[in-house]
Amino acid sequence: MEAASVAQPSVFRRTRHVVDRIGDNALFGLSGAAAALALLIIAAIIWKVADGAWPAIRHFGIAFVWHGAWNPVIGREAYGARNFIIGTLVTSFGALLIAAPLSIAIGLFLSELAPPAIRGPIGSLVEMLAAVPSVVVGLWGILVLGPFMRSNIEPFLHDYFGWIPIFGGPPSQSGVLIAIVVLTMMTIPIASSICRELFLGVPRDLKEAAVGLGATRWEMVRHVVVYNVRGGVVAGIILGLGRALGEAIAVTQVIGNSLGPFHISLFKTGNTLASQIAANYQGASTNLQVASLVYLALILLVITFIANLGAQRIVKRFELQRTGGS
Amino acid sequence: MRKFVFSALAAASLALLSVGVAGAKHSTVVLNGAGSTFVQPLVSVWTPALGSAFDYTIQYSGVGSGAGIAAITARTVDFGASDAPMSSDQFTACGGCVQIPWALAGTSIPYNIPGLQLAKGQTTFHLSGDVIAKIYMGTITNWNDPAIAALNKGATIPSLTITPVYRTGNSGTTYNFTDFLSSVSSAWKTQIGQGQSVNWPAGTGASGSSGVTGVVKNTPGALCYVDTGYAIANHLTFASIQNAAGNFVSPSIRNVAAAAATVKSVPTGNELHIVNPPKSAPTAYPIATFTYIILPTHSSNAQALRKMVFWALTQGQAKKYTAALWFAPIPKVVLVASEKTLQQVAST
Repeated sequence: MEAASVAQPSVFRRTRHVVDRIGDNALFGLSGAAAALALLIIAAIIWKVADGAWPAIRHFGIAFVWHGAWNPVIGREAYGARNFIIGTLVTSFGALLIAAPLSIAIGLFLSELAPPAIRGPIGSLVEMLAAVPSVVVGLWGILVLGPFMRSNIEPFLHDYFGWIPIFGGPPSQSGVLIAIVVLTMMTIPIASSICRELFLGVPRDLKEAAVGLGATRWEMVRHVVVYNVRGGVVAGIILGLGRALGEAIAVTQVIGNSLGPFHISLFKTGNTLASQIAANYQGASTNLQVASLVYLALILLVITFIANLGAQRIVKRFELQRTGGS
Repeated sequence: MRKFVFSALAAASLALLSVGVAGAKHSTVVLNGAGSTFVQPLVSVWTPALGSAFDYTIQYSGVGSGAGIAAITARTVDFGASDAPMSSDQFTACGGCVQIPWALAGTSIPYNIPGLQLAKGQTTFHLSGDVIAKIYMGTITNWNDPAIAALNKGATIPSLTITPVYRTGNSGTTYNFTDFLSSVSSAWKTQIGQGQSVNWPAGTGASGSSGVTGVVKNTPGALCYVDTGYAIANHLTFASIQNAAGNFVSPSIRNVAAAAATVKSVPTGNELHIVNPPKSAPTAYPIATFTYIILPTHSSNAQALRKMVFWALTQGQAKKYTAALWFAPIPKVVLVASEKTLQQVAST
């Protein structure tokens, strides 16, 4: 049938004409509506969150952002977001700091270095990590990771690096460091599979040319493979950061949910914006507390927007450099 | 919220369906409840008995007191349950709700101190309200503190950092515990206060009764507060607490009942506090609480709810249901007030 329609140009042209008229318009309308819907939903979310936070915004103003107290006791209520903002940034960037080199290494291993027979199985195992529900990761954090960190990793860090304030203080089985490890585990599958795909996409000619010029494997990887796709690598890692910023349940389960000031020691308990909302929203005892929790959500929303915009800028800059350089 | 409404619709249609299927012979009424984990074990032993007495099916989910209040406020359940009395904002939001004290138990203080050896003749580890307040404020940080040694003369207490564990989020047990600490320690009262969640100056948070007991089990040096039945079911050892009369008492049924017996009258709104009872009750356990069922004043299941709660207040207090779970029977004066409040629940 296809052969027949190709063989008859007049029929082909006529149908195309009709399809052009309806189809192009329909395509434009549908895709435009989908894009508009996405915009509309974002606008509706922002409006709803800002509306819910309004009583707290009116009560505390912008000072809420840097105010450190969180006192839900009726009669002496005082709310501020500072400790949770610091907690969110410390846990997310801490996780990023560990996850970024690991993800790049995993991506390289799976795309360049591993024997072909084990690439598939290891690749799917790493991706399977992403399929573990966060509440299960959190339970594992409570039952396995927490006690393990308390009796092995944290004493080790304390003994050898205790002079760095972040490793000071007694080990504990719930705290910021454990939250960082849990978040690392949750960002690695996303970031590493993006890295692998990017590395696989680097043209074979370039790699062979580098080797042909006498580059070692390391030089080839560094100057050709990673260099070519660094914008994409950064974007992939920021995608992982997005996950870490907003993760609530697993963090709530391991971070200890302290309401006090954020400690310099990573062994101590802390809290993040998302985990504070998850732990307290249900059954908050006063209207002001509910509004303050929604205010935290608004701040989290702003932070994730900033992170995403930042990622877009970084990607753009790398791309410019790349096209400019070649 | 939409999800709640949807699940309520689903539950309602399921209830309708089961009525339809059961036919004329059985008129099974399904009562949905949510809230306090504290009272959950008791509700689950009441459920089969209520089934055989009235043919009622009770579906209760222990989601925590705060979440229970949220659920009845949204009317996604027929009744809520909370260990903390509702705040005035919560009462307003609930729009025509009453709270009825329907059970009574103690909050125990379990600890994990490896190597603790009590003196000869001493059967339980002793703590006082003042010492517990100082531990949770972070001013007493080691188990070998002289203040703890003074309460346990002759005992060998190891040098071990104390990890106080508290409930994350909003909890009725936290309300009871901080109510007690505010009552015994003026420093606690002025600096922290009482509530379903407070600004904890020290310690580690964990979610739910199971969360805090889990941390205590796994952390040498930890202590927490949790309802007595839960501590017993999880084989935790708990301290005897010094009461106003100076005696060290355990959260036994008799000692909790002695604390409840100090209630002479019930205020409107039924908000009761029996923490730190006066010296005149020498055996009273100082950290006990009534737990409340929260009912809407207008309900399509009003008759069934009235019958259920009346049964719980009377036959439900029998030893065969309550004793194994360490719940104490509610005193007569509270029973009378509860029954009176129950009359406000009317059909729609």
